[in-house]
Amino acid sequence: MQKKISLILIIALCAHSVLAISDAELDSLYNQFQITEVEVTARALTEDVIVPQTLKGAELQRLNALSVADALRYFSGVQLKDYGGVGGIKTINIRSMGSQHTAVYYNGVQLGNAQNGQVDLGRFSLDNMEEIQLFNGQKSDIFQSAREFGSAGNVYLTTRKPYFKDKERAHVRAQMRFGSFALANPNVGVDVKLTETLALTLDAEYVYSDGKYPFRYRRVLPNGETAYDTTAIRQNGDVNAVRTELGIHHYYRNTGFWRVHAYNYYSERGVPGAIVNNVWRNGERLRDRNSFVQAQWQDEWFNRWSMRLLAKYANDYTHYKNYDERLLPSNNKYTQQETYLSFANKVEIFNWWDASIAYDYQYNTLARENLLLEAPKEFFHRHSHWLSAATAFNIQEYLRMQASVLMTAVDNNTPRVTPGMFFSLRPYPAIDLSINAFYKQSYRYPTFNDLYYTDLGNANLRPELARQHSVEIAYTTSNHKLQNSNANGYEIAVSASYYYNRVTDKIIAYPKGQQFRWTMLNLGTVKINGVDAKADMSLYLPLRFVLRGRLNYTFQKAVDVTNENDTYYGHQIPYIPLHSGSVVLGLDWQSKRGDHYGLNYSFIYVGERYSQQENSIYNYVQPWYTHDMSLYGEWQIKRWWLKANLEINNLLGQDYEVIQNYPMPKQNVRCTLAVRY
Amino acid sequence: MHISRKILNIVLCILSLCLFACRGDEVVYPTLGTHVTDEVRQGGVYILCEGNMGSNKARLDYMNLETGTYYSNWYGAQNPKQLKELGDVGNDIQQYGNRLYAVINCSHKVEVMDLQSRHIGQVEIPNCRYMAFKGDKMYVSAYVGSVANPELLGAVYEVDTATLEITNEVKVGHQPDELCVVGNELFVCNSGGYITNQYDSTISVIDIASFTETQKIAVGLNPTRIRTDNQNHLWVCCQGNYANSKPMVFVMDGTTVLKRIHVPCSNISIQGSTAYMIDHEQKTLRAFSTIDFAELEVPIDISSYEHPYGLLAMPEALYITDAKNYVSSGVLYCYSYDGKEHWHAATGDIPGHLCRVEKAYDLYPDSVSQDTAPVVSPYVKRVYEYVPAPGQFVNELPKYETGDDAAVMCRKCEQAISNNAGGLISLGGWGGYVTFSFDHSVENKEGKDIQILGNAFFQSGSTEFGSSEPGIVLVSRDDNKNGEPDDEWYELKGCLYDDPQTVHHHSRTYLRAADTIQNEFHQHPYYPQWITADELTFNGALLPSQTQKVNGQNVQHILDYGYADNKPNSDIEGTSFDISWAVDADGKSISLPCIDFVRIYTAVDETFPQTGELSTELSGAIDLHIE
Repeated sequence: MQKKISLILIIALCAHSVLAISDAELDSLYNQFQITEVEVTARALTEDVIVPQTLKGAELQRLNALSVADALRYFSGVQLKDYGGVGGIKTINIRSMGSQHTAVYYNGVQLGNAQNGQVDLGRFSLDNMEEIQLFNGQKSDIFQSAREFGSAGNVYLTTRKPYFKDKERAHVRAQMRFGSFALANPNVGVDVKLTETLALTLDAEYVYSDGKYPFRYRRVLPNGETAYDTTAIRQNGDVNAVRTELGIHHYYRNTGFWRVHAYNYYSERGVPGAIVNNVWRNGERLRDRNSFVQAQWQDEWFNRWSMRLLAKYANDYTHYKNYDERLLPSNNKYTQQETYLSFANKVEIFNWWDASIAYDYQYNTLARENLLLEAPKEFFHRHSHWLSAATAFNIQEYLRMQASVLMTAVDNNTPRVTPGMFFSLRPYPAIDLSINAFYKQSYRYPTFNDLYYTDLGNANLRPELARQHSVEIAYTTSNHKLQNSNANGYEIAVSASYYYNRVTDKIIAYPKGQQFRWTMLNLGTVKINGVDAKADMSLYLPLRFVLRGRLNYTFQKAVDVTNENDTYYGHQIPYIPLHSGSVVLGLDWQSKRGDHYGLNYSFIYVGERYSQQENSIYNYVQPWYTHDMSLYGEWQIKRWWLKANLEINNLLGQDYEVIQNYPMPKQNVRCTLAVRY
Repeated sequence: MHISRKILNIVLCILSLCLFACRGDEVVYPTLGTHVTDEVRQGGVYILCEGNMGSNKARLDYMNLETGTYYSNWYGAQNPKQLKELGDVGNDIQQYGNRLYAVINCSHKVEVMDLQSRHIGQVEIPNCRYMAFKGDKMYVSAYVGSVANPELLGAVYEVDTATLEITNEVKVGHQPDELCVVGNELFVCNSGGYITNQYDSTISVIDIASFTETQKIAVGLNPTRIRTDNQNHLWVCCQGNYANSKPMVFVMDGTTVLKRIHVPCSNISIQGSTAYMIDHEQKTLRAFSTIDFAELEVPIDISSYEHPYGLLAMPEALYITDAKNYVSSGVLYCYSYDGKEHWHAATGDIPGHLCRVEKAYDLYPDSVSQDTAPVVSPYVKRVYEYVPAPGQFVNELPKYETGDDAAVMCRKCEQAISNNAGGLISLGGWGGYVTFSFDHSVENKEGKDIQILGNAFFQSGSTEFGSSEPGIVLVSRDDNKNGEPDDEWYELKGCLYDDPQTVHHHSRTYLRAADTIQNEFHQHPYYPQWITADELTFNGALLPSQTQKVNGQNVQHILDYGYADNKPNSDIEGTSFDISWAVDADGKSISLPCIDFVRIYTAVDETFPQTGELSTELSGAIDLHIE
């Protein structure tokens, strides 16, 4: 029996992307395995120096969310930029530092986009996602690749783990989703236990939507009379996308494992564009493919020395075509390649003191082709090196500390060194109350677009520097015994943080000369004062009812302090609301035979913002808020599980825009039917 | 259903997050008026702000030069119901005939408006750039390209200005920008601006009659602007390739190059025989003679600008805009040619294109946003006519300056007497008058309705004698609702109306040639200098003289009631008038529920050697019913 558990654990671990495996995590994984069907929403007693915000498992599936981007709206400190529809680009901005300061990791390896530095999170499906974590600063464990120390905010996406019970050889999942705007989204997944130590996972998904959603523009005169009121259908927002993934996991000798993960995403879509006077449709088309293979090997010696090797090769292709004869015709192809190697080591000096050192190397290339002009292909490349050293130590149970330094060298630029320091104080170890603080610097390097996109490229751009200072107080309490999920009880976790960030040398597109020839300059300075507050709660009620709640509130005062003579000096930066927040309420019920039913309600609020630097009445953007509901049931029939889920989004049909002139869909529904074995 | 949804929405919003703001109705963008100068000039200037691509923030602002008020989003106030406002990226604005035309580049249209910018229609032209006019046709350059056609040529469209239909189209070079008409030919700049390292360098010549391209003239690389001067020469600004090929200006006589001026010029405006040029990158303002092409001194320094962008040289002033960083509001500056900055005003994003119009417009009160909607004011709002008879204070109160016309003098009167300003205007000798209104109709209520302020005073210790220069008050109602004082006038019957010595149908003509009556204190013309006619004839009633010598001084017997500038302003009762006193031309009492216009004229004709003529002075008027 012991052996079998360890095998299951091993496989579970293999799939687990947070590669740093501490004893604590092993325990928690073990617990998780033992109680696979019990969801833990509240943060368990944690020993993290940096407490992540987490959404996982069933909670993730319950949210009214199609993509990772939709789910990230429920985190505090996060602003989502959403251009609308299934195919619209969705990026996130953590604590107002800019979306390029956010790194996204897919099963432990960063997703790159050397061209523009932004990852479209609308492309990552939630269906095979096990867990989404957001770390402000950096990940808690010092056993990480050097590059991971380099970002200001980190999002870790972890795909579903294969679980095999005794004698199980394979699992199959099949799912079909339909919805408004001709959404069709089938998904299949297969997990196969090849040998006792080798497992294989396969996942494939197709998404289609015609993107033809109605939207409405209405304005009134000051006296209340309607000035105009028009409803139109969004055009050219169709998307066709196929995602396939393959993973092989192998574990050996109880200490080491390797795994290979291959990912391919292909899409063809319209770029619906801005709705402006006299323009109700645009004709740009975008076709792209993202492919990567990543391999990891990890082992441990003498119970003290852990070592990991990581390698990745990515090949991305984008083809942008403009069929709109009224605009600049274009037919551009971009091909990006990324080769990445990482070597990380961690040594446990004492059981209260760890140290790590890691080195990463990456080679990026971008080829740009203008098919219309038959101009010669342009080729850009970049070598990057990262070297990190980190240490973590605990003073009994009271204080945990982590310090890291990262040296980054990009091409022939002067290497930059950035430090990070993290503290977690637990004054009363008996109570789960912690005070966490950190200071971190991080650079965001100019992207290929920043350097070469315009004909006035500026090769002398310095990297953008973000300095973060953050203090958090967190408290968790529970009277609930995890082992007995039917007992009444509660779990509550609350936390609040205050942060002060300063982004300097911000890379800004600046016009030069006639005809809007933009050049990139290190011009901007932004000062950010913010408060994030969040509460998670689970109430275990009689009759097997569980009520869950999640509350997030974010206050951000992010002001431009570049130059006192600017008319927008001291103004809130574009698209950052002062107030934003979300509420999620869910009621679950489990029948005696184990069927599940649930009702979920969520509310998202984004306060008033400005669309441009100047906070004038002409740039004012109204607040928006949506109410979403979902209803689901899950039934077991022998060894089969059936699941049905009905979602209604934007219940009250608010006409809103996240980005000005990019209207968002009104009410829309999604219905998911899934079966798994 | 609708109401319940609304209630549900409100309840949920309050319950969920009561500390946050809720979403309300989206109100149209407001129009805000800012007073930027006290200087009075004629007419106004339109400022077309481009706005960034995709932002739909093209904005048409208007500067009323007569009131010194800068209105942001003027077009919005004139056309609040225009779906999605003016549009995306304004690129050109011009007046032609009695219409205003604006090219809205990324909305692919030319917006056609009346001179007050009220929407008349639009012409759909893809990626349109600039306009030129001749006869009943408009010519519009456009960057139309096609994916199928790798040549990416541009075109010029011919549009009938009466029907707003496209009547013809001709292919020209790459990305045509400005164009202009000389004789029967159209000259079009082919910039090639889309293709960074393959700029065009030609001017297409189009024969207007056949609407075909007859030839291409080679000029410098990347020509973007073309204008004609008073010699009918063409000035072509070539931007170069921003690298080894330097920018320069070509001056041409038709197809012959007369001169190459080796200066960068991102914008040009020609006034009289001077071509003014600004450059974006060097932040310079230069001037060249259109006669011998010599560089001239301009005492205006624009080196402190962030991005000099728009330029308009007019006889009275030079208007230059600073587009700042292109993503925030800009500034419009007005300079006189001696280098003095007269005023500046904050504009919308990327103020690029300016257009001078002769008439000054004010906002209709109902189109002003709530923030700036004027509260009904008890004071004088507008002066329509100011025609004083010759007098010692004429041309002084208010001050006449060379070039002022009747409209400007009215604005100056407004500055003196409107809005409780407390200034003084003189109506000169007998018959001289002024016509003004409030910002509302004055109701005829119980008792007195309007107080009229002058500069009369009692002799010390007396309430019987003093300085009284009585003026007769006429009122009128805007019966034809045209907002102009062209309706029937009624006299407010004063105490001397029935006096047998009052001459009711008096007339007097003043000649410019006879303008010699000057006393030592007023060494200037008495005849109103802005009036172009050489004689002025007034008709009205002449009151009998009330002047007596008291203690050797000429003083007037103060009249009982019913005349302006007769009793001191502190005597509210004595300086107030009742609309019920109104009589028609036959002396019949007339009942007016309200009035819109007031006219006052000097009603006595007396001149004294030391103190000059008696002339009614006006310092303001108050609607007594408004708090």
